[in-house]
Amino acid sequence: MGSGWEFYLTLLLVYLGVDIIACLGLNIQLGLAGIMDFAFIIFQAVGAYVYAIFTLGPANGPGQGAGGQSYLWGTSLPFPLPYILATVAGVILAFFCAAVVLPRLRGDYEAMAFLVISLIATGIATNQVGIFNGANGLYGIPQPLSGVLNLPTLSYDWFYVGLTAVICVLAWLVTRRITTSPMGRLLRAVRENEQAARALGKDATRARMFAFLVGGGLAGLSGAVLVAFVTAWAPASWGYAESFVYITAIVVGGFGNDIGILIGVLLVPILFGELVRFLPAYGRSTWIGAAQLMVYGLLTLLFLWFRPQGLIPERRQRYAGGGEPSLRAGGTPSAPSAPSAPSAGRIRARLGPVGRLR
Amino acid sequence: MNPFIQYVGFGIVTAAILAIAAVGFTLQYAVTNVLNLAYGAIMSIGALAAYAANSAGASIWLALVAGAASSAVVSVVLSRAVFEPFRRRGLQMFGMVIVTIALDLFISNGLLILAGSNPFSYNAQAGGTYHFVHMIFTGEQLAVIGIALVAMVGVRVVLQWTRLGRAMRATAADENLARVCGINTQLVKDAAWLLSGALCGVAGVVLGLSVSGWTVSTGDGLLITVVAAAIVGGIGQPYGAILGALLLGVATSLVGGFFNSSYTDITAFTILILFLIFRPTGLFSGVVKRRDVVV
Repeated sequence: MGSGWEFYLTLLLVYLGVDIIACLGLNIQLGLAGIMDFAFIIFQAVGAYVYAIFTLGPANGPGQGAGGQSYLWGTSLPFPLPYILATVAGVILAFFCAAVVLPRLRGDYEAMAFLVISLIATGIATNQVGIFNGANGLYGIPQPLSGVLNLPTLSYDWFYVGLTAVICVLAWLVTRRITTSPMGRLLRAVRENEQAARALGKDATRARMFAFLVGGGLAGLSGAVLVAFVTAWAPASWGYAESFVYITAIVVGGFGNDIGILIGVLLVPILFGELVRFLPAYGRSTWIGAAQLMVYGLLTLLFLWFRPQGLIPERRQRYAGGGEPSLRAGGTPSAPSAPSAPSAGRIRARLGPVGRLR
Repeated sequence: MNPFIQYVGFGIVTAAILAIAAVGFTLQYAVTNVLNLAYGAIMSIGALAAYAANSAGASIWLALVAGAASSAVVSVVLSRAVFEPFRRRGLQMFGMVIVTIALDLFISNGLLILAGSNPFSYNAQAGGTYHFVHMIFTGEQLAVIGIALVAMVGVRVVLQWTRLGRAMRATAADENLARVCGINTQLVKDAAWLLSGALCGVAGVVLGLSVSGWTVSTGDGLLITVVAAAIVGGIGQPYGAILGALLLGVATSLVGGFFNSSYTDITAFTILILFLIFRPTGLFSGVVKRRDVVV
């Protein structure tokens, strides 16, 4: 038994961590705020690129950077800084995308605008070679603390798994703090019925914007964690379909709760993604990637039909006082005693997602 | 030879393909209210069916009919088997768009596995080149433009002068009102899927005719440009879609010719995003009301 399986295991664990951080971010956008972010992967991509250009050596001009690559800046910053900058980059890019899309578009058009933004980003990164080395992408990206620790490769990989776990926990604490805060409550309200939230004087657009920026920041962080381990990053790593992988994970696991996200990540990119990889690769080379995307598309359709709430449904929110009737779309009505209710304790009407009585 | 005029000529060929697809897309979205991102994959199915017929010995015209028919059938089957059931049940918080994009990934990657990524080309005898107001067209390109013109006139006739066309326009304008007036909207929707699917298949075949080699991903690659043409023209406006197709076809061709050919797609995407931001209802406001798509 060689140590090959151990390298594979560390790789899988880092992937798991990266996917958890990313899905926590996407869940703030999609699960909590209900934004169909089909551009999610570009925030991960920008985080990875920013990590790369702030750790690679100086770029003295086109083709003059480390390994003859072309990129911007190139400042070998020490350990935690590139991660922070990657997160900031995710937030900034998310801000520009959100400022363009969120105040104006809704529904199908919102989703499509994000899809188009993702395609434009891929086109620019591929064709503008000077920014991130174009279609070839960046490689030889330094790993954090590898010079300081001086560990053999496998030990360093395990060290990095630990680092990923720590960042995962940090990301989880941040999202936990948001979902349980008044802001989390407002976001759920906006998701369920934006008009009602607005009527109560809440700034729905600002709340959605906030959720989008947090999601973008976590995506940027996940990109940095990923690229520091795999040490290469190119436009082929972040096609628009990659956003769909994370969306599938959330659909499968169940939006709106952490356990669902964890299970979604374990099942979709890790289990199904890797299982497909082990299928006999007969015939064509493009087979595996195509089969993975086929599986994800099918999983999404099946889950949306048979179990739209995901494997672990969102828990009903309970608030102190408990006297208010809960007007949640699709939820069971629970109204202890609204004074004007016809028969005590029973309200038959429910608010649907568009605020119509069903 | 003036390169500007020649690029405009190339743009018109692209616009002809786009127009066929965009008119189908705009009709589909307006009548059925499904933003169908699997449209590109269905285009590829039509192109593949036509290729199968063509390589079995059928002439390119017969292959065109085969492509149109198979895309039409696939469209109706998908609407009955997937889109309509989802619409009836309602999606908890995700829009219909996630269903169509999931379906698109499923179909297009399935096609990739089945047919591989090698390029195909049709066996069509269209020799010679033709000059027309300083523009040079090949026989294939002229055929593409001709097919587009015939398709446009056909759509015009159906929509304007038949009972079905009137029922379609009524359903697009207000489905409930149409049903109250005694229109069988389910039947009208099926007809819309059939007609738009046929246009989609024709677009897939002419797309294959216009390039030297096409793959099963070519249709998907054109999808967003088709959507762009439909949205620029205003959803539910066939003439708008034709104008949008002309605008996008010529603009992308000019950018590709004078600037850099790898920027053709980005040009189309940028035009789309600008329209989504500043005028989401398109040049001519069609059936998509502002309240449906904007805050």
